[in-house]
Amino acid sequence: MTAIYKKEMRTYFTQMMGYVFLAFLLLLVGIWFAMVNVTGHNANFHNVLSQVTIFFFILLPILTMRLFSEETRQKTDQLIFTSPLTITGIVLGKFFAALSLFIIGTAITIILPAMLSLYGELPASQILGTYIGFVLLGACCIAVGVLISCLTENQIVAAVGTMGAIFTMFIIDAIALAMPISTFASLMFVALIIAAVVAVWYNSTRNILASVIVGAGGLAFSAGLYIANNLIFDGLIVRVLLWFSIFARFASFTRGILHLADIVYYISFAALLLYITVNILEKRRWR
Amino acid sequence: MVYCARFLRKCPGVVNLIEVRNLTKVYGQHTAIDNISFTIDDGEIVGFLGPNGAGKTTTMNIMTGFIAATGGDVKISGVDIVAEPERAKANIGYLPDTPPVYGDMRISEYLNFVADIKKVRKGRKEAIEHVMKAVHIDGMSKRLIKNLSRGYKQRVGLAQAMLGDPKVIIMDEPTIGLDPKQIIDMREVIKNLSKKHTVILSSHILQEVSAVCDRVLIINRGKIVATGTPDSLSESLTKGAAQMQVRVKGQREQIQKALGEFSVIKDISMAAGLEQGTTDLLLRGEDSTDIREAIFRCMSKNNFPILLMKPNELTLEEIFLSLTDAAAQRGSVAGALPGGAAGLGAEPHLDEGRVSYDSDL
Repeated sequence: MTAIYKKEMRTYFTQMMGYVFLAFLLLLVGIWFAMVNVTGHNANFHNVLSQVTIFFFILLPILTMRLFSEETRQKTDQLIFTSPLTITGIVLGKFFAALSLFIIGTAITIILPAMLSLYGELPASQILGTYIGFVLLGACCIAVGVLISCLTENQIVAAVGTMGAIFTMFIIDAIALAMPISTFASLMFVALIIAAVVAVWYNSTRNILASVIVGAGGLAFSAGLYIANNLIFDGLIVRVLLWFSIFARFASFTRGILHLADIVYYISFAALLLYITVNILEKRRWR
Repeated sequence: MVYCARFLRKCPGVVNLIEVRNLTKVYGQHTAIDNISFTIDDGEIVGFLGPNGAGKTTTMNIMTGFIAATGGDVKISGVDIVAEPERAKANIGYLPDTPPVYGDMRISEYLNFVADIKKVRKGRKEAIEHVMKAVHIDGMSKRLIKNLSRGYKQRVGLAQAMLGDPKVIIMDEPTIGLDPKQIIDMREVIKNLSKKHTVILSSHILQEVSAVCDRVLIINRGKIVATGTPDSLSESLTKGAAQMQVRVKGQREQIQKALGEFSVIKDISMAAGLEQGTTDLLLRGEDSTDIREAIFRCMSKNNFPILLMKPNELTLEEIFLSLTDAAAQRGSVAGALPGGAAGLGAEPHLDEGRVSYDSDL
C-alpha cells in the first residue's frame, strides 16, 4: 500500500495534476474568502468552506480521474496487478494518496482563518467542525472518483463520470422530493432493484436456476416484509435516495455539531465504495 | 546432491515449478484457450509458439494472475495463483507485450518503485544495479523513461521482471519491435537469465524460439498442437522425407524425362528456376534412401549441369505451418514444406496463405 501511495503522491507532482488541483482549490477558497470575509467584513470562514463544497464535482475528479484509468491505458496495470500486492492495498494506496493531496490543500487554507483571527473573535467550533466535515465529504467524493476511474481506461470518461456522479449526489435532495411516496411506487422500486440484482447475478454466473432463485428469494422476502409491516414501504424511494445525499449531512458540521452518526455515515460510505472498487478489480481475476 | 535432486524429481508428489491444468478461457462466444495442460520444470527455457491470436498472451496473463481463467488452475511452485495470489505472484517476474513502464519516471525511480511493490528490502541498491547491468542499461538511471526508444523500454521492462529474483520469468514477445542487433542482445540476455531463472517466453517468430528455448509448446487456436525440443520437432516431421533441393541447367520436360529412368527417385516437383534456362527440383527417395548419387548420375548422363544441390531440412517455420495450418495438414508433405525451394529462389505460388509448387508427376 505504501509503495502505491508514494508513487501516486510523486506522480501528482511530476504530472501537474497535483499543482492544478491545489491551485484550483486555493483559488476557489481565496475568491470566496475575499467575497465573504474580506469585503463582507465577516468572520464566518465556515461559510467559505461550505460554498466551496459546491465545486467538489469539478475539483475532485482532477484528483481521481487518472488513478486507475491511466494504469490501464499505459498497461502498467499488468505490473501492479501481477505484483505481490493485494488489490485492497492498491486501492487504498491510491485512495489515500488522493485524500492526502486534498488534505494538504485544505490544510493550506487554514492560513486564511488564522489571518482573520488577528482581527477579531472567530466562531472556532463552527470552523473546526466545517473543516472536519469538509474533509469527510471530500473523502466520499474521492471514493466515488476511485470507483469510476477503475471502470474505464479513458481519463476524460472517468472525469466526466465522476462529475456526473458527484453532481447527482449534490442535487439528490431535490430529486428525492420529486419522487412518489406511495407504497405501490415503493414496491415497483423494490421490484426494479431485484430485477437489476438478478441481471447482474445472471451476467456473472450464467446460471439461470441460481438467478431465478435469487429473484424469487428477493420477491418473497419483500412480500414477507410487506405483510409483516407495510409501513416500511412508505416513501422508500425517498429514503433510499436520501441515503446517497452526502451533502445534506454536511449542514450539521457547519453548525459546529459533530454527530457520531454523520461521521460513521461518511466513513462507511467511502469504505463501501472502496469495497466495491476492490471487488470490481478482484472480479477480473476471478471470472 | 545431483542424484538426490534427480531422485526428488522422479518422486511422485514432488511439485513441478509450474503446473497448468485444464486451463480454459472463454470470452463471450470465443474460446481463447481450450483445455491447455502442461508442466514446466526448474531451470527450463520454454517457448510458446503460435500465430497472433493463438492464446499465448491470454495463457501468460492467466499464469501471472492478471486475469482469471474460466476453468482449470495454475500452480506456481505448488502455490495456486487464485487461492494465494500474493504468495504465488512473489515467484513470478512478468514482462508483458507492452513494457509496463511509467513514462514520467526516471529509470532509477521506476526500478525503486518496482522494488517497493515486490518487497525487495535488503540489498535493494545492489539488486537494482545488478538488473540494470544484466540488461545493459547501467549508467542510464537518470534517463526519463518516456524519452527512451522502444528497445530500451523493453530492457527496462525486463529489468523490472528480474527484480526481486523471482523463480520464474515470463516474457510475452520479448523481441517484438526491436532492431536486429537488439534482438541478438535480447537473446543473449535471455540465455543468461536461464542460468538462475526458469524462463517462459512467447513468440510468433520461429528463429527466436529455436535460438533460445529448450522446449517449445506450439499453440494454435487455444490448443497445444505440439511440444518438444526444437530439434525433435524438426526431426519428427522430416522423418521419411529426405528431400533434396536441386537446381539444374536444362529444360523442364527433358529433365522430367531423364528422371523417369531413375526409379530410386520417387517424388518430384519442379518449377522454373530464377536463373535463365534452369529448373528447380525438389526430389525425394523412397523412405530415407540416399538419392544424391542417383541425382548426380541422372544429370551427368543426360548432360544437365547441377548448379546447386542441398538437403531440404525443415525449418521450424515449416513445422509451424504444417502443424498450425489445417489446409497444409490436409495437403501433401511437399506442398506443406516449401521453404527449402523458396531458399533456392523458386517462386512459390501463394494461394491464400498456402504455398504450393507446380508438380508435374
